[in-house]
Amino acid sequence: MNEKTKSFLFKGWILLSTLIVLAIVFYIFGYILSNGIESINMEFLLDGPSGIPVGSQGGIFPAIVGSLLLMLISCVFASILAISTSIYLVFYCESERIKGLIHLITQCMSGVPSIILGLFGYTFLVLYLNLGRSVLAGGLTLGFMIYPFIQVRVEKTLLEVDKSIINSSYALGISRTYTLFKLILPICKSDIVSAITLAGGFAMGAASPIILTAAVTFAPIPSSLSSPVMALPFHLYILTGEGISLEKAYGTALVLILLLLIINIISTIINITRKEHK
Amino acid sequence: MRSLGEKIFESIIKIISLFSVLLLVFIVVFIFKESLIFFNRVSIVDFIIGRKWNPLGAAEDLSIWPIILGTVYVSIVAILIAMPIGVGTAIVLSTYTSNRIKKAIRGGIDVLAGIPSVVYGFIGLLVVVKFLEINLSLAAGESVLAGGIVLSVMVLPFIISTCDESMEKIYEKYSQSSSALGVSKSYLIRNIILPESKRSILASMVLALGRGMGETMAVMMVIGNAPIMPKLLGKTQTIPSLITLEMGMAEVGSLHYHALFASGFVLMLILLGINALLYFIKSRINV
Repeated sequence: MNEKTKSFLFKGWILLSTLIVLAIVFYIFGYILSNGIESINMEFLLDGPSGIPVGSQGGIFPAIVGSLLLMLISCVFASILAISTSIYLVFYCESERIKGLIHLITQCMSGVPSIILGLFGYTFLVLYLNLGRSVLAGGLTLGFMIYPFIQVRVEKTLLEVDKSIINSSYALGISRTYTLFKLILPICKSDIVSAITLAGGFAMGAASPIILTAAVTFAPIPSSLSSPVMALPFHLYILTGEGISLEKAYGTALVLILLLLIINIISTIINITRKEHK
Repeated sequence: MRSLGEKIFESIIKIISLFSVLLLVFIVVFIFKESLIFFNRVSIVDFIIGRKWNPLGAAEDLSIWPIILGTVYVSIVAILIAMPIGVGTAIVLSTYTSNRIKKAIRGGIDVLAGIPSVVYGFIGLLVVVKFLEINLSLAAGESVLAGGIVLSVMVLPFIISTCDESMEKIYEKYSQSSSALGVSKSYLIRNIILPESKRSILASMVLALGRGMGETMAVMMVIGNAPIMPKLLGKTQTIPSLITLEMGMAEVGSLHYHALFASGFVLMLILLGINALLYFIKSRINV
């Protein structure tokens, strides 16, 4: 094969693969949008599911609220743990060995598949701690899942803060806590918030951790932390898996994707405004 | 002198950090402890290499060789499909595009990574499975191939971003000298950049394998879930889908229940091995 043919084949390969990737992106969105747009109306968004079997009529309002609740709980839980660990690692931990150990454990954790976390959540939280299938159990399980995600990003942000600012602050005799709250956290705030929103989107789309711990086919809007919930990904799974209603399934998928897009856009806007201030 | 508030804050931070690390360790230990009860009855080797999965039968009838094979098979099919496409796209992104187009394509790929797996499963069931049924005239389109196709789309973003990152660095390193020598771009990429980024390509493959084997929803919805020896066009079962489907039905404390923990433990071991391999490969990438 001469150089010309080789080059031609090579260019054909890379061009074709890029086109395939772009086509997949457009196809997935076009498919969900064109099929789902008809099922979306005020009734679908603001009513509970009804009909026999449940879900074949009505809407998905409890599932939207349930998904947002699960996202909120998991974000609050995971970010408290993740931000504390990152602050500890960057500003308080002096032993390299402990740092290495914590990094290793976090890295291993990010490789554990979500279903194993669901299994843990089901047995430990739902059965042993007697939380029952509930918003709380599901939210905590999702929290385990997104913890490494937030921790890695927050730690990276904290490390990126200019060391000389911190050292000057210490040199002026300002306490660590004061430096942290008045100087470092304000610099990192938008990065941290953006990491948490991204993780929240990730948690909201995940179905496998909540199948065993929180989600049920039909429930009203939860009245307390110990009541079971409906969630969008699980609702979509049930609608398709049991063949209840294809039309409602398209609508649910579209709502889920739109919510995630909104979350992503919010996170991007937070990042952009930060760059303007710099 | 440090004030009291300072000390209290430091202690709180330390306690929460300790708590989160212990929690992570506890999860692994807990899964191990629950599966130990099963491994006391059946040896881990028999559990792995046995070919029968019958939850209602005796302890010896619970083994997961076909299911492990199914898990690996689906991921490998996915990688075979996704690798050429992913590497090709990464080359275009890192060398051929202007900044603006690069940003736009990367945005699209990020969006692809953000789609929940249940939506992939949904589209896979309605599009891929139907397509296979019609075009290959199968009785049921749920198969290893369908799982592989759906999974390949899901791992594409990981492959592209891993390869793209290091290819861009290598390209920056060589582009000036190569254009000064009058070497064509395509020659440069084929003879310098691709061989140099061998390790990153391998790393992206291992990463995709790990992601694929742990994937639950999308795969579960399109593979038919039958614990038999996997064939490309036949139904199969993966460990995550096995746990998801059967955990709710298994009586707490029964052998079946502990066997599901045991399969989760085996999956976790495999993935820890894969992650260790990934760590090893990544540490040897010197760009």
